[in-house]
Amino acid sequence: MLTGNGEAVATLGTKAVTGLDEAALIRAAQGGDQYAFEQLVQAYDQSVLRLALNLLRSPEDASDIYQEAFLRVYRNLHTFRFDCTFHTWLYRIVTNLCLDHLRKRKVRREEPTVVETSEGPVDRMEVVQEQRAEGDPARKLLSRQLGSRIDRVLTDMTPRERMVFEMRHYQGMRLRAIGDVLGTTEEAAKNCLFRATQKMRAALGDFV
Amino acid sequence: MNCELANGQLSLMLYGELSFEEEELVQQHLDGCEACRAELVSVKALHRALDDTEAEMDGAVLADCRRTLRVTVAAIGPQEKNGWFHGLTWGAFLKPLGAFALITVGFFGARFTTAVGDPPQASIPMASRVRYVEPGMESGRVQIVVEETSQRTLSGETASEPIRRLLLAAARDSSDAGLRVESMDILRASAGGSAEVRKALIFALQHDPNSGVRLKALDGLKGSAGDPETRHALSQVLLADDNPGVRTQAIDLLTQKKEPSMVGVLQELMRKEDNGYVRLKCQKALHEMNASVETF
Repeated sequence: MLTGNGEAVATLGTKAVTGLDEAALIRAAQGGDQYAFEQLVQAYDQSVLRLALNLLRSPEDASDIYQEAFLRVYRNLHTFRFDCTFHTWLYRIVTNLCLDHLRKRKVRREEPTVVETSEGPVDRMEVVQEQRAEGDPARKLLSRQLGSRIDRVLTDMTPRERMVFEMRHYQGMRLRAIGDVLGTTEEAAKNCLFRATQKMRAALGDFV
Repeated sequence: MNCELANGQLSLMLYGELSFEEEELVQQHLDGCEACRAELVSVKALHRALDDTEAEMDGAVLADCRRTLRVTVAAIGPQEKNGWFHGLTWGAFLKPLGAFALITVGFFGARFTTAVGDPPQASIPMASRVRYVEPGMESGRVQIVVEETSQRTLSGETASEPIRRLLLAAARDSSDAGLRVESMDILRASAGGSAEVRKALIFALQHDPNSGVRLKALDGLKGSAGDPETRHALSQVLLADDNPGVRTQAIDLLTQKKEPSMVGVLQELMRKEDNGYVRLKCQKALHEMNASVETF
């Protein structure tokens, strides 16, 4: 924004939209306002991309899910009736796409995160995991080993368990909201989370 | 409650997903069971370890995704099917009739229901927040203070001062890595040589939490890799950054000019580096500078 005296201030960027903002944005986007649609996308796209990335462990697949999800939103926004939150509606689309992807992957076996490059084998997730280890070599090593163990456990989980675990642990969503997104009850989501955490503990218990 | 049951509930308790009664039972069990208390410590450690392995979203990937989506949406064009009106399955010829009926109802409804002195119907602004609500003197009325955020689209030459300052502000926007990447890209292309832009790139390289943004900043600093301030920042980043990709690129930029002062930095890196590829790169650079790999 430019202030009266022409000074630029740091107001560019996406900020969390309030409920009232959001309803107005959705209505504007439903009316064909492309800018409002873009604002809506930018309010949610970071968490959508993070969810897809964590679930699919592949930046390319996560980007595909991002495109497909927001295109579906664009094409079907006129059907949104405010009978649930926009977040729930969007996450239903995203989780369905991710679940389909995970199920297809289960059929054709899990894709390895390690890819061959001209400079030898590189683990695509290694870079991502190392960033969290904050430069401590011992912690880095542990983080890398733990990362590959977690990848294996995630592969052993059913797509639903993986989804519930991801949304609860990494996205911080409440089980009731997860149930709403997945079209199931809070209790069913809780059972799913219970199974997922038991698998995690069984596989990683000796690690911590 | 026995140990097996309590143990099974520990993760759910940490997530805050047990009912009051369930949590009470687990707590009672924990109070009297040392083994389960030890298990709780280990479950907490597991949760922390899981936090450490969360995939970080790359700002460059986000920026790419947004760009692609924008292009695709523009190609599709505006979606005419909007609102509930479209949902009705009337034939096309019935729609004008429906619209006419609605206008008529609206017209007569307004004539007979609007109270004298009512302000014109205000539409809710696009971005607004209710700040204050005050009951009116007359019953059934209320005063609401609404905070509005107006949005403007600015366009102009990337070289113009206000635009450049906005871009510099956006390049530091903490909430949106994608926006930072895009802004940095434009700044780099339009005014990469200016001291102000170089400072912004150095700041991003040293402080941005997103590795994609730091890589983009490194890209932008290619042209000024000989500048002492840039080299100082690159040396610091080489030894401190936790992303191997960033460290690799920092080596590339620092060794464009084979300066003897770089040898110490590279040797220091060899001492602490545990990433195979970065070590290899560093080793190669030291060999090319006829320097030993280790300090003795």
